[in-house]
This record gives sequence, structure tokens and C-alpha cells, in this order.
Amino acid sequence: MSTSRTLILDRIRTATANAAPQDYAALPRTYLRKGTLDAEQRLALMIERLHEYGAEVAVCEPAQLPAVIAEQLAASGRHRFAVPPGLPQDWLPSGYDFQQDTGLSADALEQCEGVVTQSFAGVADSGTIVLHHSAAEGRRVLSLLPDWHLCILRTTQIVETLPEYFALCQQQPELATYISGPSATADIEMTRIKGVHGPRFLNVILVRDENPAEARSESFTTH
Amino acid sequence: MSNVILDPRVAPPFPTAALPILRNAQLRKNVAHATGVIQSKRAKLVAEKTDWQDLRTAASAIRTHVLQNLGPYLEQFEARCTAAGGVVHWAADAAEARSIVLDILRQEQASEVIKIKTMTSAEIQLNPALEAAGIHAIETDLAELILQLGEDEPSHIVVPALHVNRSQVREIFARRMGIPDLSDDPQALTAAARAYLRQKFLSVPTAISGANFLVAETGSVAIVESEGNGRMCLTLPRTLITIAGIEKVLPRFQDLEVLLQLLARSATGERMSPYTSLWTGVTPGDGPQRFHIILLDNGRTSILGKKTEQQTLKCIRCAACQNACPVYLQTGGHAYGSVYGGPIGAILTPQLMQMEHAQSLPYASSLCGACYEVCPVKINIPEVLIDLRAKVVDRERAETDRLLDPMYLGMRIANNLFSSAGRFRAAQRLGRIALRAFTGKDGWIHALPGMGSRWTMTRDLRGLPSQTFREWWETRRKEGQ
Repeated sequence: MSTSRTLILDRIRTATANAAPQDYAALPRTYLRKGTLDAEQRLALMIERLHEYGAEVAVCEPAQLPAVIAEQLAASGRHRFAVPPGLPQDWLPSGYDFQQDTGLSADALEQCEGVVTQSFAGVADSGTIVLHHSAAEGRRVLSLLPDWHLCILRTTQIVETLPEYFALCQQQPELATYISGPSATADIEMTRIKGVHGPRFLNVILVRDENPAEARSESFTTH
Repeated sequence: MSNVILDPRVAPPFPTAALPILRNAQLRKNVAHATGVIQSKRAKLVAEKTDWQDLRTAASAIRTHVLQNLGPYLEQFEARCTAAGGVVHWAADAAEARSIVLDILRQEQASEVIKIKTMTSAEIQLNPALEAAGIHAIETDLAELILQLGEDEPSHIVVPALHVNRSQVREIFARRMGIPDLSDDPQALTAAARAYLRQKFLSVPTAISGANFLVAETGSVAIVESEGNGRMCLTLPRTLITIAGIEKVLPRFQDLEVLLQLLARSATGERMSPYTSLWTGVTPGDGPQRFHIILLDNGRTSILGKKTEQQTLKCIRCAACQNACPVYLQTGGHAYGSVYGGPIGAILTPQLMQMEHAQSLPYASSLCGACYEVCPVKINIPEVLIDLRAKVVDRERAETDRLLDPMYLGMRIANNLFSSAGRFRAAQRLGRIALRAFTGKDGWIHALPGMGSRWTMTRDLRGLPSQTFREWWETRRKEGQ
């Protein structure tokens, strides 16, 4: 193994010996790194994109959140839901079987009909929901096995463009999942089919929190 | 179902392999439909992106910068990935990569392995090696599953089963999954695949993947996919083995903001693929607790040192060039005799083979430039094709058994004639006399004998004029005096 390492790195050194490398800082970056929409337009775009993916979207005020969650759970017709350990318990209505994920087995997760998580950010341009898998967003497998994913996103967490999300990351996440619509395939005659292996249903609650400073200091804070 | 050979060492030359496909109307229809759909979706999403050309310029510069600094970036990736609990292996060639995978699987006592669609695995012909070692590989990407169950080969980098239509998929699934009354509705076929694979995801403890990007700065790996089979393989098993070409590395996490915007739009005509996963070594309590990554050379370093060809390694495997190529549109991917088909395959495959095989591929192009135009990282494929054609010719004419090859003989004679004005004039006069017999009353040559018939088989040739320009000029001067 180590001999191949030396061999490959030697070959690379020889091959690149005459290169006059461009400085990383000098690489051209003339693409858009900031959007132009205001908060309302950004929200509207995010909703439009999520709808294009076939996701269901609800918008609410922070105080209404538990009620909207209750509505969504009831409308889903499902009973057993997995929740990450960092999700505030007082958001969840009674009358359901909530399985808190403190290391649930894959089989136990497979028995859950849905999952409720928070998220790190949203990218309006592509309708992307970003998970960094903090305690409120859950392990990666949590938002994968259950067939129905209810995801909560604060409107101040929505950026317009992908570069703005990267600017938001002061630290690189160790784990990240970018979800742009529910699992899908177009492998058979380019016909888009929703729901292959990941959740077939994606529901998003967008919580209007016009005061970002407040939002980041509360239980919503993700790492 | 298939006797397609995707090993460039033994595959027939492109024109030979293309012939039966050109007679397969169904396959050509399937390919035309799929590439047409992706192309129109792509065009729409590219048009809405006002900074598309800026993104291409940035991506091209980032990828070039990486290649020029490949050694340091790979070492940085190795250090960060190792610090995060990953095990980094280096494989000089396909055989070594296969044996590293087999060694790990033996340690894991694996009898089955679940796989995410990976080009590098296909490149190193991993599946036959696994089967030979008694390890059953289960392809989990829908298209790869169709091909595996249908004993067929991939014909496209991103949509590998695009040459198969729904009734063919129905037949394969009904037979291999034992569902005789399966309908040919894509929804039903997809549901059948979901049910078929679900238990495998939950029970097989070892997975194999490729990688879309490696991040040097963090030691992270990124995979872009649609179905969620990738996420399953990346999170449920105990052990994950990733095989990545050494050129896949990016300097920083933030560079993904450029490449991710380009990749899905170019590959599938989506703003983003449904799922992008990023992980860093091993995370306690989340996902595989053993992570191996194999950095694969397999001919890449031989491309790196060549001025024109180096750009081949900028490729991010989006297959936009395949969809745009008028030659691929007619032949599909199997004619290329390699897992890498289309324009990028035409330049990548012979180079990975160190020009020892696949020499017909640089000619599998009309040089129209559509591939260059759509390439998100601005690989000038026509330029590389021409350069590789020159290399093929240089090799061939150095071979002594080619001395009497009519083409090379003709070229040597032409060289001799064109290098002397007197000989050139004599040849023109002779040619005029010789061709007169074949020139019709309309001044065109419709049929030539022997080798020349290959030209006139598909096009007419203008007969030589009764006077050359020089002769006309001479006459004019004399008359003027």
C-alpha cells in the first residue's frame, strides 16, 4: 500500500513539475455569490420550488407551530413517528407514538411511519433543505427510513443562492445532507417517479421568524 | 440479453461495434428519447442561470488548479480523512484496487455487498472479481439494478440503462424478481425495485461507493444521487468502501458551491439532485463505523503530465457531452467498448489505456464541438480528440508492418509530391488525365474504383478543373503583355 502511495505521488510530482500553478486566491469567482430577492420574495421562491418537487408546504407564525405540526400529523393519517433528541417536546401533540432517537435500530426506525426534524438552512434557488445532523435535525438515517418527512425550517434560515449557504457555514459540517425534493428517479424512460428508497413524502413547515438574532439563540440553534 | 463488451482491451473497434447497433431501431429510439428529454430540461435550467458562463469559468479554473497541485491536495485529503477515522488506501492500477477491496471484504467476512452506482468500480471491473471471490454484489441504483438483473452493460455515465425501455424493464423484473403479473408502469417498476432492495439495505453490513468530490481541506467525501439508495448505503452498513479517482479532489468545502450548481443542471436537468450527502471519515453514532477510501490512479497520472490532454481529468462525469453528441445519439454507449462512452469516453478511455487500446475512439466524433459547448468545466474535447488522433497516427506509422498500408503509403507519396513544386505540378497534370475517365458530363465524379470508392460511396467529388490557378495566372499574364 505504502509503495503505491509513493509511486502515485512520485508520478504526480513528475507530471506536475513544470506546471505554473495559479494561486487559489486568484481563481476567478465572478459568479453570483449573493441573491437579489427580499425576504418575502425569497420565501415565495422557496415555496414555489418545494411545490415543484411535489413537497407540501405550510407557513406559520412561531406561536402557531405546535398547532400546525398537530395538523400535519393528523392529515398524514400516521401514528408512529421518530423524532430526534433535540426536537422540543412541547411542540409535539399528544395521542401519537413518538419514538425518540437515542440510537434506535434500523429495524425500529423502519417501523416508524414518519419523522419530524428541524433543519440547518434552506436554499430558495433550488428548493434545497440542508441538514447538518445536529441533535435537532437527527442522525442521517433518521430522515431516511421513515416514508414521511416533516421538516421544520425558519424563514430566516432561508438563503437565496447556494453560495450564500456556504457563506453561512462558519465551520464545515462533518456531516451534511442536501435534500431537493423527495427521493426520485427518472431511470425508466426519463419518467420522473417520486419515492424510490428515501421518504416518498416531504412536508415542510416554514416558520416566520422575522428576528434572526432571537431565532439563533433559542432552541432552534443548530451547531 | 447482451454480448456487449465494455473492456477496451478486448472490445472491437468503434465502427465494428457500432454497426449492429445502427440496425437496432428500438435501441436508437430509446437513446434518442432519453437524451432528448435530458437535453431540453438542461437547456431550460441553464438558460435561467444568468451566471452560467461565470460558473463554468470558475469550475474550470478550480479543476485546473487542483490538477496542477494534485499531490499536495491528495496528501492533505489523506491527512484529514485519516484524522477523522477513515482509512486511506492508494491503488496504482485496477488490479491493486480490486485486491484492496477484496482484502477488506475478507476481513469483514462479507458474503454480500450493496453498491451505489460507481464509475470507478465499473472501470476496474470490480463485480466480476467479487463474484469470483464468492461475494455477491447487489447494485442498488435502479438503472444499475436493471442492468445487473438483465445481464446487460451500462450505456450512459449518468443514466446507464437509458437504452432499455419500460417493457424491457418489466420483462427483466418479472423474470428475475418472480413477479409475473408486474405492469410496465414506471411507478410499479420502481415500487418493485424498492421492495426488492429494502431488506438488503437493512441487512447487508458492507457497502461500496464511488465519490463525486473529495474535499482536501476537510477530508470529506460528497456523493450526489436521486433515489436515496446512496443514503442507504452511506448510513446503514457497518463498513463503507469508497473508490475514487485521484482527480476527484477539490481544495475547499466552499468550492462545492460552484460544482454543485453545475453538476445536476448538466447531468439530469435539475437545479439540484434530490440528495447530496457529505461525510467526513467516521462519525460516532451516525453511519458506518469503518470507512475505507481507495484513491485510484489506473492511468490518470499518465494523462496529468500532458499539456493538451490534462484537461481530460477536469471531468466531473455529468455526461452532458454524451447527451449533446450526434455520434452518441446514433450509436448509444455500447459501441465505445468502455464504461465511459460518448465524447468524454472517446478521449478518456484510450488515455486510461495509455493509448495501447481503444485507438478507434478518437475518431468516433464529427468534431462538431457540441460537447465542448455544454461541458460545465470547459474541457475542450475536440482539441484533445485531434491531439489523440495525431498520437494514434504517430504510433501506427512507426509500425513496420504498416509500411505497405495503402493509407500510409498514400500519405508518404503525398508528402513527397507536396514538398516539391515541380512534382506537384506533374501530379496535377497526371491526376487530371487519370480522373478524366471517372468524371461525368456534369463535372462531378460519382464513383471511384478501389480505395477511392470509400469516398464516393457516400458523396460526390468535384472533378479536377481543366486548368489550375497557376496555369490560368500564367495565361493571363501572357495575354496581358
